[in-house]
Amino acid sequence: MKDRLLLSVWLVAVVGITFIHDPLWLGGLLTAALLLAGRATPTLLKRALIAIALVNIAVSLGFVLSASLAGEPWGLFVLRLNLRVLLLTFLTLWLARHLDLVRAVDFSRSLQFVVVLALGQIKTFQRLLTDYRMAFRSRSLGRPDLATRARSAGRQAGALLEKAELQATEVNLGMRSRGFFDDRT
Amino acid sequence: MHIPDGLIAPQVYLGAYAVAAPAWAYAVRKVAREFDDALIPRLAVLTALAFVLTTVMVPLPGGTSGHLVGVGLLALAFGVWPAFLAYSLVLVLQSLLLGAGGITVLAINALAMGLTGAAVTVGVFRLLAKVHRPAAAVIGVWLGVVVAATLVALVLGIQPLMGSDTEGQPLFFPFGPAVTLPVVVGPHLIIALGEGILTWMVLSVVERRRVPA
Repeated sequence: MKDRLLLSVWLVAVVGITFIHDPLWLGGLLTAALLLAGRATPTLLKRALIAIALVNIAVSLGFVLSASLAGEPWGLFVLRLNLRVLLLTFLTLWLARHLDLVRAVDFSRSLQFVVVLALGQIKTFQRLLTDYRMAFRSRSLGRPDLATRARSAGRQAGALLEKAELQATEVNLGMRSRGFFDDRT
Repeated sequence: MHIPDGLIAPQVYLGAYAVAAPAWAYAVRKVAREFDDALIPRLAVLTALAFVLTTVMVPLPGGTSGHLVGVGLLALAFGVWPAFLAYSLVLVLQSLLLGAGGITVLAINALAMGLTGAAVTVGVFRLLAKVHRPAAAVIGVWLGVVVAATLVALVLGIQPLMGSDTEGQPLFFPFGPAVTLPVVVGPHLIIALGEGILTWMVLSVVERRRVPA
């Protein structure tokens, strides 16, 4: 219940923020969010700044340049864009830190199963990929050329695809053997 | 190619949700009919696969690399609608678990890459496969990625029309299509080629091992 509420409040907040255009309001909300996040603030703020840096710097600099050349003002836009994107990213990272996604989607049994299974399978696939990468590195004496790296990437993705086919069948049989589908008509 | 939160006007992203909602509903019905009891495990595994595929590096000339988008591969291996659903779930997971991408723009990203990109890839592949399968896969994936990038660029490019403040400064993304089209689509003309070649390499490996794809 707590997680569902958290998810709902965050969704409303995120949509609401995109309707706010006054930098004063956006700045106030960002300050409040930074204060409310408590001890997690420095870590979350650093992650948020890294996440938005590339796009925001490019868009801001591009706008400053084009507006300056045209002799138009640019300050308000740059402030608004950066405050809004930073606030939204900070809130999302804060949510990611506190939300138990599996509990948040407990309103739908099927969706909950998809999320649980997907999270488990992601770990399995990531392990497989790491194994492939380490094996490739251990077999390469020097820096591999483009064709070799392409072949390796192809094999990695191919192995994932095959594993996915096998895992889907295996998980389905596991669910069937535990009676997951028995209460369906 | 993802659009982050905060750059797109509500009237655009809410409109995209209005378009995506029936598409998601149709996809669930279609995939459920196809997979029956296997829907949940299939969808979960495909979602995990799509999530991890985006971490496979596409080697680029000069020793650098980019990330696989993976939608073309998913669409060619499992069909357009499973790919669309799996990719949409990946966007949700990326947003809620990693804080990457954005939830407001999820529908735009899903429609551009997950649905349009996948549909173009499969359509072109079916059209050209009888002539030359490898070329069909490469061209299909290339075109799918390029069309998706073009859509993303156009969505960004219409933002200046979505409103400005009293000083005339834009409220959202400030550049029109004259800027967004070359900046977004240009690099994808090359990245998509790498993705297309890699997709064909993967499919040929899978087909050689005779695992149904």
